[in-house]
Formats: sequence, C-alpha cells, structure tokens
Amino acid sequence: MRGLLSGTCLAALLAVGLVGAAHSADYAPVTDARLDNPEPENWLMTRGTYKGWSYSPLDQVNTSNVRNLVPVWSVATGVDSGHEAPPIVNNGVMFVSTPYAQVMALDAASGDFLWRYKRKLPEGFSALHNTNRGVALYGDKVYLAGLDAVLVALDARTGKVVWETKVGDWKDGYYMTMAPLVVKGKILVGVAGGEFGVRGFVEAFDAETGKSAWKTYTIPAPGEPGSDTWQKPDTWKTGGASTWMTGNYDVASNTVYWGTGNGSPWFGDQRPGDNLYTSSTLALDGDSGKLKGHFQYQQNEDWDWDAMNAPMLVDFQHNGTTIPGLLSPQRSGYLYWLEREPNGGIKYLNAIAYVPQNVFKSIDATTGRPVVDMDHKPGTGKMAQFCPGLWGGKDWPYESYSPKTGMVYIPANENHCNKFEGKVEERVPGQWWTGVAIPDFHFSVDTKAGFYGEIKTYNVNTGTPGWRQLYSRSMMWGSLLTTGGNLVFGGGTNDREFRAYNASTGEELWHFKTNSGIIAPPSSFAVNGVQYIAVQSGYGVDAAYQEQLLSELVGWQADVPQGGVVWVFAVR
Amino acid sequence: MVGGGLALAAGLATGLAPGARAEDPSEMPPQPGDRLVFLTGPKKGTAIKPADLPLGGPQVQAYPASPEGVLREGSRLNLLIVARFDPAQLAPETLARATEGVVAYSGVCTHQACPVNAWSDEQKMAVCSCHGSTYDLRDGAKLVFGPAPHALAALPLKRADDVLVVADKFTSHVGGEMM
Repeated sequence: MRGLLSGTCLAALLAVGLVGAAHSADYAPVTDARLDNPEPENWLMTRGTYKGWSYSPLDQVNTSNVRNLVPVWSVATGVDSGHEAPPIVNNGVMFVSTPYAQVMALDAASGDFLWRYKRKLPEGFSALHNTNRGVALYGDKVYLAGLDAVLVALDARTGKVVWETKVGDWKDGYYMTMAPLVVKGKILVGVAGGEFGVRGFVEAFDAETGKSAWKTYTIPAPGEPGSDTWQKPDTWKTGGASTWMTGNYDVASNTVYWGTGNGSPWFGDQRPGDNLYTSSTLALDGDSGKLKGHFQYQQNEDWDWDAMNAPMLVDFQHNGTTIPGLLSPQRSGYLYWLEREPNGGIKYLNAIAYVPQNVFKSIDATTGRPVVDMDHKPGTGKMAQFCPGLWGGKDWPYESYSPKTGMVYIPANENHCNKFEGKVEERVPGQWWTGVAIPDFHFSVDTKAGFYGEIKTYNVNTGTPGWRQLYSRSMMWGSLLTTGGNLVFGGGTNDREFRAYNASTGEELWHFKTNSGIIAPPSSFAVNGVQYIAVQSGYGVDAAYQEQLLSELVGWQADVPQGGVVWVFAVR
Repeated sequence: MVGGGLALAAGLATGLAPGARAEDPSEMPPQPGDRLVFLTGPKKGTAIKPADLPLGGPQVQAYPASPEGVLREGSRLNLLIVARFDPAQLAPETLARATEGVVAYSGVCTHQACPVNAWSDEQKMAVCSCHGSTYDLRDGAKLVFGPAPHALAALPLKRADDVLVVADKFTSHVGGEMM
C-alpha cells in the first residue's frame, strides 16, 4: 500500500483545490511594507502585527452592538488535539493551521473551501504537542512549520508545496509548533523539544528558495560569550533553551525579540551555572541573527518556567518619560517592564507578581535578577513545592495590549502548585528527559480557593491593576484579543464558551457556546466592509491533561469534547 | 477528489499492518525468534535475561534483534517495554503470553505514539511521558488513565537458553492514532 502512493503524491492529491481558481487572480502578495503596517482589515500574522499586541483596530463590532454577534459560518478541521492557531487573513482569504501540520484555505467571508494541505508525518513520529500556532504569509506563499521539524512553503493560491527544508532531526527530539516570523525576505523559525534535551536555536531561511541564511543557537558553545554559565562539561549540548513560540520584531531597530525555554533536564543542579540563554528574551539582528542583547528572567531554572513568549513591543511611561519598552507577563507569574535600548540591549525596569508566587524572595532593582527561596527550588533528590505550578501564572496563551485603554490583559491561573524532585536519567534521543516523570509531578490546587483561571489587567504606564474576571470552575487557557471596538475576546475555559468583555470595565457582554474548548487565539478582519471575529475551538494538549487532573482533585468534568471547528462571527 | 485523497490518507495513517513495513531488517517489526536488547542502562546493547529485570517493575526499554544480530531500531514503532512481575499477579491472558513473569509490550503509546517510558511507583504502572496515559502491564497493558484509546499491543515471549525471545507477533496494531 505504501508503495502505491508516495508522500509527495499524497500531498499533491490533498492540495487539489475545489474552487481555488476563483481566488488565484486577485490574491494580494504580502510585502515587507504590508507586514510593517498591516491594513486594519487584515490579520497577516499570528499576533496581528510585529509588535505582538493581539489587537485589531477594527471597531465596527463594539460594546454597543456585540450582543448581536452571531456565527456566520463554520468548518470542521477534521482533527483532534489542541487547536492553537489564529485564522490568518489576507484580503478575503483565510489560512488556518491545525494540529498535525495541516493548513486549510477558505474564503474568509463565505467560508467556501479553497484548498487543504496535510503533511504526512514520518512513521513512528511522535511529539509532546501535536499542535500548530499559525502560518506566516509572504509574497504569494504560505509558510508552515511542520511538526516533524520541516519548514514548508506552499503556494498561497493552490496549496501546492513550493519547497521544503529540514530544520531539525525529529528523532533527536526536535519538532516545531510555532508560527514562522517573516523578516525582510527571510522566514524565521524556532524549535520545540526542551523536554527531550535539545539545544535550542532560531534559524532563518530565504523565503524564495528555502536555503538557510543564518542560525543562532540559544546556548553558547564552549568559548563563545556566556559559555562560562555552563560549568559542567557537555551540559550545553542538551541544555534546552528551546524556541517554541514566535518572536516579535522591531522594524525601526531591525531587532527580533525571541523567547527561550527552560533548561534541560529540568533540575538546575544537573547543569550548574546560570545557563545562558535559558528562560530569556533574546534580541537578534534582523539581517544576521547576531545576538545583540538578552535578558534572563530566572537563572539555573528548576520550575519548567519557560520564557517562551516574546515580550510585546509597547511604549510606556516610566519615571515621567515615554520608554520604547517590552512588556511581558511571564510563566513565572511576574509581569516585566523592560527597555528596548537602541543597540539592541534589554534593560530591566520593573516587575510585579501578577499571581501569588512563592519562589522569588525579591528581584534586584538594577539587574532584574531574582533572589530565589531555596525552600521552593527543587533539585536532584530534593523535593520542593512551588507555586504557581509548572504551567505557571500563564502558559503560552497570548496576553493582549489595547492602545485604546492602555491596559494589558493577561489570561492567568493561580491557586495551583507542583511538588517534585529530580533524578539523574540517561538521555535517549527523542524521549522525555526532564529528570522527573509525569506521575511524580504532584500537581495540587487549593481546593478552598474560589477560583483558578482568571483574566488580570494592568495599566501599562502605572502598573495599577484594573478589572479581573475570575473563573470559579475552570483554568484559563485562552489567548486574548482586544479590538478598537473596546472589546476583549477570548475562550480558554472548560465550558466551551467564547466570550466578549468590555475592555474598560470587564463586563461580560456576549458569549457563545462552541463545539469544544477554545485555546486558540481569536483574530479579527474585515471583508467588503464587514468586520468578522474568528477563532478555532478545539481543546487538547496541556489544557486537557490538566483538566483530567482537576477532575480527580476537585471533581471537574474530565471530558471536554475534542475535535476542531473554525468559527466566524459577525454582527447581524 | 479531495475526499478520496483524505480517505486514502486516513488509511495510510492508521491502517499499516506491522507486516507491511519495509524489507530492511532493521525496520521490520519483531519476529518470532528475535531477542530483546536493552536500549538503556549498564547492560545497554545486550540481550535481556529475566533475572536482569527488577521484580514488580519498572519497565525497561528494548528493541528486538534478529537471530543474526540486526537491531531492529530502524523504526520507532519497534520500541518495546519489558517488565517482570510475580506470575501470580498476572491476568490469565497476560500470564499465557509471559515467560517467568516477564511481559513485553509495544513501547509506543496508542494515543499519539510517544514512548511509554515513565513509571508510576504509586500505581505500579507504565506511563506515557507525553500525555500521561497509564497502562497496567500486569493485565494486558489495559488503559487505566489518560487519553489513549486502547491497550498497548502485547508481544508474546518465551525463553531460549537464558535470554528472552519473541514467541509470536504483536497481538494488535502498533502506534498512535494521528488524528
């Protein structure tokens, strides 16, 4: 059977469009200028713009009419697991990626099906997270980070493969889930695999040819700056610092900001030293990938607190002046204000805990380095509890910044902890290698707490907390979207709801029960003068696993139905 | 046409019988007469003897090796887990496939094909590291927790000389359900 149909042939079969020809003529190529300044009616990249705000300036749907928001079309993705990609829209054509490295192209207004690409994964392939977080658009191509660590360029009009380039070896534990980032004719990708003991990197490929242009490792090799922070020989080779979420880009300074994961294995005493550049934000030159600056949130990491999300590029007030800043609610439970220095350096300004955290005793006001409470730092053979637990104050779901309100909106979780100790384990390429097995995580929640998931908000200039939305019977796993209509959209709860809140007051203005739980980022776009809100509903991965634990701990429903659907809403 | 392609894709993803895999002996599924060889630990690369295994678990990871010595590690679907229990603890069907209390199963989780390489001391069961599916190796590797759809495929064993040898093919389909 296998001999009858090669992978290439299969992909070609699947890429055959039903009505693709209808859109071939008027597909609008994506240029650097359009990426620098996307039209409000388009959602050209995973977080909307290079600044990473997850904000749409569209205001046709607003606080006064959102009650009339209704679904106008939907489509089944045909797959299960966690759907984590926003619908990407370019002039009326929507591109949606799903788990298992599938891309669907649809008419964004009508929902008519244009084409589908479905990657054939290698026999025996496995990944910790079978998800995908969105495609990138450039020229007349669509770029997909294949789960099997292969970057794929598709023809935007037909879905046919233009080129493929291997980024990493999946048998060694590399895989890819993030949306690629386009920077001046290059396609930038990062890799997952921290739990398998990979050495992270960001690599750029020529958009036309797929040829590698540069590759910057997130862990220095011996002799390179920072290599002295890996004091035990060879630990740098398998030290983690994966790069599993998309970076943001400062066009003016030509700087890419990219987040890195925690260290591998998880226990710092097995890799003595600060372990640069684990749990850091890196500043990379947009042309060469050269490291221009970095900020490490916590050193010699033990808590699985990746710093994977790139900070948002937000200019805020600090000591009476406007600072070109970086704003980042970290998995550690702290919200950071950092400064983008002209040379690419990243300067610490301030941080506050946005959820209760028992690990940092204090943070140095000048360097931003935390003083760690050793009672809450697990080690090899040393059991310790820490809160929030390994899923953090927030995990990967996106926060949002609204320039209308000057507030940051954080999808957060609290009242949960983990308690574990490490073991020294032999590494098998491509296998779990954290030093602690899943059954030994000892995840716990405060069963007397009135809530677990929440949305927290802060004024970015003053740090003053704003409204909160508490979820008494759910964790919060949904990315947020703010809009010019002064709305916050998001799902994230186990009750399958998609909700809209007043961005100023937090009042819930609208909700709709979807097919599954929503963990994907919503996006907004307009076609022929009509504004749409779109989101994928498809529960899975860590949210589903955690839900199963909570069903045992506090009796929540373990079965949140899975299976993806793309929903598109408009006011009628 | 698209519909036809998808049906074909589903067939490829889930319907591959173990015997239909490549002719390369390193990729062939375990065959009767194969020995089981440690993947990790101080005895890595050597054939497993029952006494090498701790009584009551945890499992060890292994690959089959042909009588000619070809290690069948060419396909991840050949990953095995092997554990030794008191035969009195084994369910009847499991006991029938075991030798001296030693049981072998596919080490590939039936959920999404991750290695079942973790162990729950509390439950005395094997656990998948990716999404926590938990299998009772004493009772046909039936699923007791987690998202996997069904039990791991069992690999009947016998003893030849002093080492473990495959007695028969996998009892069921090996691999995850990719979608």
